[in-house]
Amino acid sequence: MLRLLRRRLLQGVPLILGVIIMNFLLIQAAPGSFLDVMSAESQVSDPAMLEQLRVTYGMDQPVWLQLLKYIWSVARLDFGFSYRQNMPVLAVIMASLPATLVLMLASLLIALLLGVTAGVVAAVKVNTIWDNLLSFLAVLFFAAPSFWLGIMLTVLFAVKLGWVPVGGMMSITASNQGVVATVLDVLHHLALPAMALGLFYAAVYARVMRAAMLEVLSLDFIRTARAKGLGRWRVVLAHGLRNALLPIVTLFGLQFGTVLGGSIVVETVFSWPGLGSVMLDSVSSRNYPVVLGVLVFSSVVVILVNIAVDLAYLRLDPRIRAR
Amino acid sequence: MPLSRRSILAGGSAAALVAGLPGFARAQATPKRGGTLVATWGGFEPQALFVPPGGGTSPFFTSTKPLERLLALDQQLNWQPLLAERVEAAGDFRSYTVHLRRGVTWHDGKNFTADDVVFSAMQYWKPLSVGVALNALTATKALDSHTVRFEFDRPVPEFFFRSVLAGQGGLVIPKHIYETGNIVTNPINNTPIGTGPWKYKEWVRGSHVEYVRNDNYWMNNQPYLDRLFIRWWRDPASRLAAFESNALDLGCFNPVPMPEVDRLVRSNRFVADSKGYESSAWCSTIEFNTRKAPFDKRVVRQALMHAIDRQLVVDTVFFKRGRPGLNPILSANKLFHTADVPKYDFNPAKAAQMLDAAGLRKGRNGRFSVNLLAAGWFEENGKIGQIVQQGLEDVDITVNLSVPDRPTSLKRIYTDYDYDIALSNYTAPIEAVPVISQYYVSDGIAKGVAFRNANGFHTPAMDDLVGRLTVETDPVKRTALAHEFGRQAATEVPFLPLVEFDSLTVARSDVRNISTGSNWMGEGWADLWLDR
Repeated sequence: MLRLLRRRLLQGVPLILGVIIMNFLLIQAAPGSFLDVMSAESQVSDPAMLEQLRVTYGMDQPVWLQLLKYIWSVARLDFGFSYRQNMPVLAVIMASLPATLVLMLASLLIALLLGVTAGVVAAVKVNTIWDNLLSFLAVLFFAAPSFWLGIMLTVLFAVKLGWVPVGGMMSITASNQGVVATVLDVLHHLALPAMALGLFYAAVYARVMRAAMLEVLSLDFIRTARAKGLGRWRVVLAHGLRNALLPIVTLFGLQFGTVLGGSIVVETVFSWPGLGSVMLDSVSSRNYPVVLGVLVFSSVVVILVNIAVDLAYLRLDPRIRAR
Repeated sequence: MPLSRRSILAGGSAAALVAGLPGFARAQATPKRGGTLVATWGGFEPQALFVPPGGGTSPFFTSTKPLERLLALDQQLNWQPLLAERVEAAGDFRSYTVHLRRGVTWHDGKNFTADDVVFSAMQYWKPLSVGVALNALTATKALDSHTVRFEFDRPVPEFFFRSVLAGQGGLVIPKHIYETGNIVTNPINNTPIGTGPWKYKEWVRGSHVEYVRNDNYWMNNQPYLDRLFIRWWRDPASRLAAFESNALDLGCFNPVPMPEVDRLVRSNRFVADSKGYESSAWCSTIEFNTRKAPFDKRVVRQALMHAIDRQLVVDTVFFKRGRPGLNPILSANKLFHTADVPKYDFNPAKAAQMLDAAGLRKGRNGRFSVNLLAAGWFEENGKIGQIVQQGLEDVDITVNLSVPDRPTSLKRIYTDYDYDIALSNYTAPIEAVPVISQYYVSDGIAKGVAFRNANGFHTPAMDDLVGRLTVETDPVKRTALAHEFGRQAATEVPFLPLVEFDSLTVARSDVRNISTGSNWMGEGWADLWLDR
């Protein structure tokens, strides 16, 4: 297992380097620059000052030199300085990352719980009203864009029923809350955005889980287990579920990156103070250091999650360990 | 019914709406102390709470609560003292003496003095925030602890000078904090210290900034509120939901989708007001690249104006909350605007005739083709682009419409001049020089510098007119020059407002003293109170 871990970590290094180079060049190729946006926003009217800013931000240097300098600084865990936010890029990311991680994990948890449960029930109750109903809901949530779903959930649960807040991560006007009250407050705010983001993935997991379960439940070892007199749900949960989980684990690893992308949209709708708004602002203002910093950071997170998924395979399927 | 400023003031059905506004029935009510207000605006979170060179509307909104200017321009366009008690012009208008308010302290307890104003003027306003408008400033001297003299190398009109002191770039910053290091990158810009009614408490990035009452504010009893939150929602529909679920009290600059405003107001829980934007009125513009044929011909530019249905833009894109533009000095500007300028009614037949007369007859592929760029920083520009495209195609012009994002639009318009016709925007203060005038003069041409003369237009007559407008110190003569400037601009048509659109403030009906200034979003809000 350690050998696999070492090999995967080493493979991640050129991957991250590739992410840096590709994104750096793509951003440089985009028309317009951070300086164009900054001078427009600030109504900089003096060309001499514009030139001075170009030198200050190192934009007068050739692209290859800027790239080399960036790679060298990332190697020293220095992601640069965001002149737009007037703070180090790492501080910008760290200020927003926890909120995004909370949202991602909560939505993945919802997706896994609802998706796996729905998939198992649909497979066990195949071709019944339950199967049809769950399949309909899965198609509905799969087809519904998360921003639309977010607004609909807000209108129903926040505006009409008043059960949950309309946005944000915490009640901003409350002060000096205790730890428990703060956690409950965050959970209260988290419910809608996590649902809006998680229901799409729950739909995906439900479809995959249903198919995997149907396949597993038709295999010989399940028939053997039943013949040995095991109860129905014990067969399904202890023997069927564990063997049907492998595609879900694969999907989980693959989708971690896309959940990060999806969170940008959901964060916008719910005013969730995560990396989403930072990314949107940075892309539209060509704030290269922050865009690159977030991309490198998220690449690292996705690589680490996929390594964890590989390790989970070993745990779930001894045949992979044997190979 | 369209909800414009005029209809709000005149319409009988809007009486209930008006009753909730300051300056009307509630004006005599005694302000109540205390309470917390959550405000937002129709845009995004700022990059920093205070961006010294400007940084756009969002940091202007957040920085003007803790930081103050010397003067303010009220809604009736009268000057009101803030940190300056009075301003006196010398006989030759080459210097001004500013008498500062005494007993004012910065939020960290230090005294506000003339040294702060001298430092702000020479180290901050002239090189960073005000720029070319202060080119003529040669020196700023502290005559005593609370008197400052500004000296210029030419006569400076009094309204112009006061506009600088009350303008977006005129915030006074503390010398003792900014005199060491770089003003632009000073970390204090994210935790600003000023003399204003609100003290910074906390900024939760991506969510909100919290200000608390400055108990030592120089104006007795103000601010009335205890706490002020400025919170951001990127999505207008989310702001609407926040209003309806009582999570939001006030939103400036079109916070909710336009079609929803009437519904909110009809509920009697909210008011909408288009006042308070007199010195920051917005318009959508059309700009012809006069470096390229056939847009170098005035008659062609005039003909194309006849081909565009600007009322259709008002009705469909802005839901009737605006009016066709006439004059680059917008109609909200009661001091310098005139409606006595050439008008270009929607008349495609006349446009076709004028183009024929200019030798641009219809050929096998139409008359000519146009590279039409609609700047993508406002969603509305793309929709306007489609209406302009339709209008031009109806007079047999081939149109290639593109709606690039903000950085690309800026580069193509102001650096590469890569357009034939550009649809853009500007916001205009009352003072027309240099913000508006620079689009029409030769020294406004500066490649790579945004929101200046990218169209390449300049004539000796216009240069001379703007030169005289810049130095004329007689208010009556200056107003006449401003009217003449509007007429010349509307005659030459290198760059004109297509549509002036209303900006709306939406607030809960128990919020008092909204829209009291001419650029209210950027004022201190010390007098804001809640009638709860």
